[in-house]
Amino acid sequence: MKEFLAYAKMALPDLLQGTVVTLELTAGALLIGLAIGLPLSLMRVYGGRLIQPLCTAYLTVFRGTPLLVQLFVVYYGLPEIGVAFSRMTAAFLTLGCNSGAYQCEYFRGAIQAVSTGQMQAARGIGMSRLQGIRHIILPQALRLVIPAWSNEFIAMVKYTAIVFLIAVPDLMSKAKILSSQNFAPIQTYVLVAMIYLVLVGALGLMLHVVQQKLAVPGLDFGMDKR
Amino acid sequence: MPLPVLRIEKLCKSFGNTAVITDVSFDVIPSEVIVVIGSSGTGKSTMLQCINLLLRPTSGRIFLEEKEITAPGVNQDNVRRQMGMVFQEFNLFNHLTVLGNVTIGMVKVSGIPAKQAKEKALQELERVGMAEHCEKYPAQLSGGQKQRVGIARALGMDPKVMLFDEPTSALDPELTGEVLAVMQKLAAEGMTMIIVSHEMGFAREVADRVIFMENGTIEEQGIPDQIFSTPRSERTRKFLSVIRPGKSV
Amino acid sequence: MQAFYTMLQFLLPGLGVTISVTAIALCMGCCIGALMAVMRVYGGLVAKAIAVCYSMVVRAVPVVVLIFILFFVISEFVDLSPFMSGAIALGFASGAYQTEIFRGALLSIPQGQMVAARGIGMSRAKAIRCIILPQAFRVAIPSLINEVSLVLKDSSLVFVIGVPELMRRAQYASASTMEPLLAFGTAAFFYIMMTLFVSKLLEAVEKRFAISF
Repeated sequence: MKEFLAYAKMALPDLLQGTVVTLELTAGALLIGLAIGLPLSLMRVYGGRLIQPLCTAYLTVFRGTPLLVQLFVVYYGLPEIGVAFSRMTAAFLTLGCNSGAYQCEYFRGAIQAVSTGQMQAARGIGMSRLQGIRHIILPQALRLVIPAWSNEFIAMVKYTAIVFLIAVPDLMSKAKILSSQNFAPIQTYVLVAMIYLVLVGALGLMLHVVQQKLAVPGLDFGMDKR
Repeated sequence: MPLPVLRIEKLCKSFGNTAVITDVSFDVIPSEVIVVIGSSGTGKSTMLQCINLLLRPTSGRIFLEEKEITAPGVNQDNVRRQMGMVFQEFNLFNHLTVLGNVTIGMVKVSGIPAKQAKEKALQELERVGMAEHCEKYPAQLSGGQKQRVGIARALGMDPKVMLFDEPTSALDPELTGEVLAVMQKLAAEGMTMIIVSHEMGFAREVADRVIFMENGTIEEQGIPDQIFSTPRSERTRKFLSVIRPGKSV
Repeated sequence: MQAFYTMLQFLLPGLGVTISVTAIALCMGCCIGALMAVMRVYGGLVAKAIAVCYSMVVRAVPVVVLIFILFFVISEFVDLSPFMSGAIALGFASGAYQTEIFRGALLSIPQGQMVAARGIGMSRAKAIRCIILPQAFRVAIPSLINEVSLVLKDSSLVFVIGVPELMRRAQYASASTMEPLLAFGTAAFFYIMMTLFVSKLLEAVEKRFAISF
């Protein structure tokens, strides 16, 4: 135990440096995912016959393959056809596009959970379809989506753990270096696991508080997922 | 004879091959209160939704103050703004307070400044007796209160005619009274209204004209006394004899 | 076309490995999950605490970290192939998620079932095994099928400990043909086919369930 603490004390600064990169990646990927997922979900729900198959194709590819494959296709594969990204950009893009597909499904679920009567009433007082979506449907859907979105946030922290495979200097990357330098894989990865545990725990608490703050009576968050 | 607010000419609506409304025509003059009765599934609600273009009529024409609103190129949103719609299931906007429900149309559709909208909304809420609940959310209201807010929301848009789609059908019997009272008050104030309802007592007392619909078309219409006391059509008589014992208020 | 054919030859052995790893992990996860869920719902204080900790900790840590930890821990004690270590690590991870699936299913079984089972003289354990679990399992089927595609995708992570599954094979292929896009693209194709198959299966099952309930 004493040994472990001493090792932890030595390794922690490096690991925390990597943790910052992990958090940056998480935040960036979530934002990119939001920018893709929200419009995509609107297209899926309200889009015409031309747009919907495109959305479906996007979702099938990004939800049907492992993140690792996507990362390698983007980082190693695309340069073959002249599209090359830096490690960091490739990581942001892959995580972001992947999250976009999942966020799309969360938003779609939330939009469809808002009853059709709401749109009818919006049209009834003279709103256009677009106004109805903007002022009536989305404000409700965005509240309903919060639990699923919180889960995506937490999941994203964990998803980022594979980017060390293209040598992005995140928490895992630092761990890998420390582990081979000190011949202490178990201690290192247990330490890493503890850091993830703290991150996920803290984020969970934070998001819980946000949910309480945004609650509206009667608009309950009934669609919690894993 | 004053000019009609609303004129419906040979309205037809079908879904696929199923005709729901066939050849419905009638005029509505200012301040007139029309109650539409008939058994379920005879197209009463569909007709209301066609009138304010929530559903697109298959054929026929509708005029609002002499202007044809079914003509191509007419701004439908603008048409709906001029007709207030009250729904059976209330359809209050769940994320907004009572006040927000009434103001949002004024602000976002009519472009009235927020402060002015609030004043007007409070007046409308006063009219339906809901002003003291203006900070509550829909989930905190009873069904009758929700429906009164639904009426205030429609009134806020200064409609030329109000359409009520079975406004009390989703309410517990003890709550229908407060909604009917509000509607009666509106009628007395001279609001033009078309009401689809099963409340025969209310129809008899408040309506200027009762329309009985059967199989998607108008079977008989007339002043309440005539319809309820001496119906001309056999079908009307049958319908009333079935519905009267239990349903009359 | 020739290139694609070569690629298939590289990748096909990996496909078998991917499927085996996934299958072992799922079975293991199912056993752990069912056990932990029963402990969580019906167990005493200690059993409950163990189940809660296991599920919370494992679900908070990235699967790839778990794979590393278990791989190194296991190799301290026994000499297992990376294949087996990888499968066990994935099973250990999936177990935590399956715990939650089974817990939800157990909680959805009405209280009356237990009361009725005790009423005809069954012991608590027997009632759980013969009455509650079979019903819970049926309720859990759609989520379990969904878990299949999640584990299928997670199985790509045992790549990191050198298991020659699809991704590892794709990497060999990419290095030896100098065609990374084709190599990883083909791997992606295989995964899509497999996950599509699973989701079709899910649809079919859900349709059947919709009728029978």
